[in-house]
Amino acid sequence: MKNPYLPELARIINFRDETPDTRTFEIEPISNDEIRGMPGQFVEVMVFGYGEAPFSISGIRNHPIELTVRRIGTVTNALFKLSQGDIVGVRGPFGRGWPLEKLFNKNILIIAGGIGLAPLRPLIHFIINNRYRFGNVDLLYGARTPELLLYKDELERWSREINVHLTVDKPEPEWRGRVGVVTILFDEIDIDPSSTIALQCGPPIMMHFVTRKLRELGFSDNNIYLSLERLMKCGMGMCGKCTVSGTYVCLNGPVFQCREIRGFIERVPEIGE
Amino acid sequence: MSISGVKLLRSYLITKSNLYELLERISERNKLYAPLRHGDQVVLDLAKSINDILIDYIGHSTLPLKKILIPPREILYEYWIEKKSVTINDNLDKIASERIVIFGIRACDIKSIEILDKVFLREFHDPYYKKRRENTVIIGLTCVSPDKNCFCYFTRSGPEITSGYDLLLTKINEHYLVDVGSEKGESIIISNKELFSDATPESLEVKARIVKETIIKIKDKNDLPFFNEVYDQLVKRFDSREWKEISSLCLSCGKCNFVCPTCTCFDIIDEFDPIRNRGKRIRVWDSCHFLSFTRVASGEIFRKDRSSRIKQRIYHKIVYSVNDIGTISCTGCGRCIEVCPVGIDIREIVRNLAR
Ligand SMILES: Cc1cc2nc3c(=O)[nH]c(=O)nc-3n(C[C@H](O)[C@H](O)[C@H](O)COP(=O)(O)OP(=O)(O)OC[C@H]3O[C@@H](n4cnc5c(N)ncnc54)[C@H](O)[C@@H]3O)c2cc1C
Ligand code: SF4
Ligand code: SF4
Ligand code: FES
Repeated sequence: MKNPYLPELARIINFRDETPDTRTFEIEPISNDEIRGMPGQFVEVMVFGYGEAPFSISGIRNHPIELTVRRIGTVTNALFKLSQGDIVGVRGPFGRGWPLEKLFNKNILIIAGGIGLAPLRPLIHFIINNRYRFGNVDLLYGARTPELLLYKDELERWSREINVHLTVDKPEPEWRGRVGVVTILFDEIDIDPSSTIALQCGPPIMMHFVTRKLRELGFSDNNIYLSLERLMKCGMGMCGKCTVSGTYVCLNGPVFQCREIRGFIERVPEIGE
Repeated sequence: MSISGVKLLRSYLITKSNLYELLERISERNKLYAPLRHGDQVVLDLAKSINDILIDYIGHSTLPLKKILIPPREILYEYWIEKKSVTINDNLDKIASERIVIFGIRACDIKSIEILDKVFLREFHDPYYKKRRENTVIIGLTCVSPDKNCFCYFTRSGPEITSGYDLLLTKINEHYLVDVGSEKGESIIISNKELFSDATPESLEVKARIVKETIIKIKDKNDLPFFNEVYDQLVKRFDSREWKEISSLCLSCGKCNFVCPTCTCFDIIDEFDPIRNRGKRIRVWDSCHFLSFTRVASGEIFRKDRSSRIKQRIYHKIVYSVNDIGTISCTGCGRCIEVCPVGIDIREIVRNLAR
């Protein structure tokens, strides 16, 4: 059996800047093996000389996978210094992603904050490519400033297939859209909680308020899914870093049904308690 | 001996001098770890001379068996960068294929192997652990003189143990009774036949009596509930105000984690030599008592409150492990009690909360 601690060598095929501090990388194993990720799963990326960090798969095409990375510390800064053709290591994919099979024929409500849109992007692609299999689809997306919205050109394209609602905390002069936290966007949508699945990813404080709002609207915990971020070193249920109430976020998550989390003994700030 | 295909594991007797002879022979072909004296401590370490090995000692070694199977610091792989390519060298290949024999460990540490196996050999297999584990022979030593903090009886992991070892020795008068726990154990007997004689019915009776006496010694020092029966009470008391008080003294030093035979959490760190362009990924023991343990990129620290970190350790042992691997993961060794600079005692915590 392959040693799961050893990364597979991969090449940066391409990258593009999304915002001043966020970049989407296309990465492909040099062996030409395919990384078969599902929407919501993550990989561990090794930047040789610096270290390893987990990133959600933000795009699944045929071969290269895409990762959208915000520059924040040691590993991410080092990653931003690499250029086309440079080598990184990849382990994974790991974890359990969005519950695709539960989404067919349902209305879908996606709520994202900041970099939290990254793990939702492959799901949005999947929905758009199979549009007839889903009911109403709404995306509520918030960022700190208009400049920090991810995938700006795509948002425009997505809005032809699904309802895209945007808001920013701090507007710039040209901004014509809404101003405020993402929960203010709830007044733009008209949804039936019993036939809608809500999927969210964003900072803990955002998910805290969104979960509360969803429950106020009458969503059952069965129909709310969240992707949790915890410190992860191994990705395989061994290092113990990522556990919440003894459950491994790397193995059993990062996507959880709100109901599962509510059964936990240890408090999880993201579910609005 | 074989009855309808089931192998019956037998018992033997060995004299003390033959036991030393056996250890001598083992040490010639294996890395032999055994309890040794180091100042006023008993340490589990490589035995350089058979005469240094402690056979009758009180309690257990300072650090548990995990230090051999998951060393405190271990290189996972090394790599070097050349222009646009990277070469990786797996350190797994360097883990000696030479066999390891661990002699003289107690029930509390033997039990811990079962728990380590469940963590490191499940959905994913940890190949470093696996390789060492497969190359390791365990020769246990029944405890007759528990230390003041030992309470394995109440975690149902000792002083008697019936599995998890290859051989188990129990001192019976001038002899040692040898219980065989596996085929690996049996093969040691077979290849050293002349050192052993068959166990007598009396010796088995004496062992049963010794175990009973040891239980009484443990019970005399401890008045505790069985730790595998307090799950519900602990779940109910998760938000109890007592936790603030329990944790108010804790220094978050992490010593309790490092000495625990079943605290397995680790970090992986990087070392890089920019002149030679060579790096290493190194696994090191970590502690759930450290603030850094739950810090994520957004700056959030999920167990900021000291009591949430003490709870993490206690609930992991008694509640989360049951959900995760089907057994509590405290083996009652008492090491965390011995080393805690402020006297935090898992027995007291459980006793109070289970009331
Ligand atoms: C499942 C999962 C999916 C993820 N997906 C993505 C994704 O798609 N895109 C993305 O950009 N990120 C994602 N992340 C987060 C990503 O893993 C982190 O951004 C990354 O680990 C940061 O690594 P770094 O070495 O660059 O930062 P670090 O150097 O580790 O620092 C990160 C931050 O923490 C602070 N910090 C760290 N250590 C200390 C300390 N000892 N004292 C004080 N402050 C400290 C730093 O100041 C910095 O602000 C994901 C995380 C998880 C768990
Ligand atoms: S929690 Fe304490 S008593 Fe229990 S196994 Fe760990 S070190 Fe021993
Ligand atoms: S040894 Fe004692 S003081 Fe140190 S972290 Fe453990 S409980 Fe806290
Ligand atoms: S990341 Fe190591 S256990 Fe989850």
